[in-house]
Amino acid sequence: MNIMLLYGTETGNAEMLAEDIMAELEGEHAVECRNLSDFAPDEFDAGRLHMIVCSTYGDGELPASAQPFAAALKAASPSLSGVHFAIFGLGDSEYEETFNFGSKGLAELLAAHGAKQVGERLTHDASGSDMAEDLAFPWAAQTVALAEEAIGENA
Amino acid sequence: MSRAVAIVGSGPSGCYLAQALLKATPDLRLDLVDRLPVPYGLVRYGVAADHQGTKGVIRQFERLFERQGAGFVGNVAVGEDVSLDDLREAYDAVVLAAGLSADQALGIPGEELEGVYRAGRLTRALYEHPDAEPLPGLGRRVVIMGNGNVAIDLLRLLAKTPDELAGSDLGPGPSAWLAASGIEEIEIVGRSPAAAAKFDAVMIRELAKLAGVAIRVVDAGASDDPEGAKTIAALEAIDGHGSGSRRITFRFGLTPVELAGADGRVGEIRFVDGSGDVTSLPCSAFITAIGFDDEGVLPRDALLGSAADREAGVLAPGLYATGWFRRGPQGTIPDNRADAQLLAARILADLETGAAPAAKPGRDAFPEWAGAVGYQGWKRIDAAEIAAAPENRCRVKINSRDAMLALAFQEEECPR
Ligand SMILES: Cc1cc2nc3c(=O)[nH]c(=O)nc-3n(C[C@H](O)[C@H](O)[C@H](O)COP(=O)(O)OP(=O)(O)OC[C@H]3O[C@@H](n4cnc5c(N)ncnc54)[C@H](O)[C@@H]3O)c2cc1C
Ligand SMILES: Cc1cc2nc3c(=O)[nH]c(=O)nc-3n(C[C@H](O)[C@H](O)[C@H](O)COP(=O)(O)O)c2cc1C
Repeated sequence: MNIMLLYGTETGNAEMLAEDIMAELEGEHAVECRNLSDFAPDEFDAGRLHMIVCSTYGDGELPASAQPFAAALKAASPSLSGVHFAIFGLGDSEYEETFNFGSKGLAELLAAHGAKQVGERLTHDASGSDMAEDLAFPWAAQTVALAEEAIGENA
Repeated sequence: MSRAVAIVGSGPSGCYLAQALLKATPDLRLDLVDRLPVPYGLVRYGVAADHQGTKGVIRQFERLFERQGAGFVGNVAVGEDVSLDDLREAYDAVVLAAGLSADQALGIPGEELEGVYRAGRLTRALYEHPDAEPLPGLGRRVVIMGNGNVAIDLLRLLAKTPDELAGSDLGPGPSAWLAASGIEEIEIVGRSPAAAAKFDAVMIRELAKLAGVAIRVVDAGASDDPEGAKTIAALEAIDGHGSGSRRITFRFGLTPVELAGADGRVGEIRFVDGSGDVTSLPCSAFITAIGFDDEGVLPRDALLGSAADREAGVLAPGLYATGWFRRGPQGTIPDNRADAQLLAARILADLETGAAPAAKPGRDAFPEWAGAVGYQGWKRIDAAEIAAAPENRCRVKINSRDAMLALAFQEEECPR
């Protein structure tokens, strides 16, 4: 599988998790890892799985590194039909009312432009007892399997 | 041989800098020197005990020592145990990331009265910093002066019921102190109007979760500015919250002019309001949360004053500054990360172009650091703190330097 692993972060947790996921998948798959701040909406590729790790900041907003991407996507408003993405959220249940709104909002934004979500959006809670990677690794394996069906094994 | 870099201070700014440096140049010989036997600065001793999620960045910082080869040199104060000049002699680059730990003074008459306390003193005591002064009695009526997140942290902790501290790492001493505080009234006062308050709206919204309080907001005003309007909306939303026994009142636009009291103890604080009228609030304790300052161990003013490029964090050839030490006491953890990433690029470029004839010795110049606390020593402290956590707490901090050192060096005494 050809995977573009993207992260949106403010304090670096999502970046670390993305790097861990890359290390986990690299053996079997072609993975490129990038900050969302270095990714433009016209770089989406129908032949790839876009795997996104994104936190939440402020009051349920996107983290700093994801904001320029979201703004660019809204401005250009391209059709993302044929694009596949999976998304994993980082958040903190201390922020009850806006728990993981960042990843939720980003998923909605991509879907609104026609991209298709693969698998469930899973979330990590910084106030919980799970390690992010313990949730993310099985999620990543599962979404890759689903994407192989959707996009094709040799993509 | 690779270059040697020393970072003075292992708070978020030092750790993020180390992270960025080692990511770009994994073979740097990099040491984080801290005056405390334990790392992570204000992540451990400033970020509130009931905001454990924010402390999650520690997992990133652990990688520095566990995978990226950084060294921790704990219990070594630069400017006291080792001079800055000696450090610069031994390392190709030295970065001051020592933060700002002294409390700013308000500068009004009566500040010396008993019952007047500064936020840093209280947070250090609450979070069991080894150099903290004991927790003082606050009495029944507390006034907090300041409108930043630190003021709200203090307000929230003082207002919480014991149950509401479940899951935190607040220690048994401070927990018992809070449970027995007898506080009936907390007034929080800002000099500016509510629209200009520095606290985050989300910190205000969090107060609506408190069970034991009754909140009132006096004169939040209005604002055309979107940020200000957001703050005001958050304040209006909590106005009238709860009918608990602890009364919380927000007041704005009051400039403190004088503290007064009897028998050397504060009893009243006088303010002038926007129209020049004097008002006063009775209080049994007055807490200022108005910012932090340099404590003078390192010659910060002189170094920043003569800096080659203060904005970029370049003080002199081979000497840099980042974090609160450079910027002043503003900015949250992510601001330090952004700052550190810029500075890392600058340092690496300087090391690249610098024509140092031979690589410097780094920590090998200091054989006495064999007696410093290394990362493994800290991990023994960390493990002991987590293992001893009582019910409803995620850790119990070891609060004395001696006890920390005893644990850190334990392995040598009783090998397994
Ligand atoms: C009470 C409080 C609560 C806060 N809460 C939050 C929050 O919830 N979220 C958030 O994002 N930000 C919060 N902040 C802000 C955040 O803590 C700072 O942005 C950040 O800690 C600054 O990082 P620093 O590394 O510059 O300084 P520090 O974290 O202060 O680290 C400095 C380190 O240098 C060491 N040191 C000092 N002098 C010497 C010396 N001479 N030799 C060797 N070592 C030395 C110290 O021991 C310390 O470990 C809070 C701040 C305070 C004061
Ligand atoms: C100031 C601040 C605001 C936050 N706001 C939210 C929020 O509204 N919802 C949420 O689920 N998490 C929130 N979080 C938690 C972060 O998303 C969580 O700590 C995450 O692990 C950070 O990942 P990052 O380092 O990649 O940015 C907030 C954290 C901070 C410090």
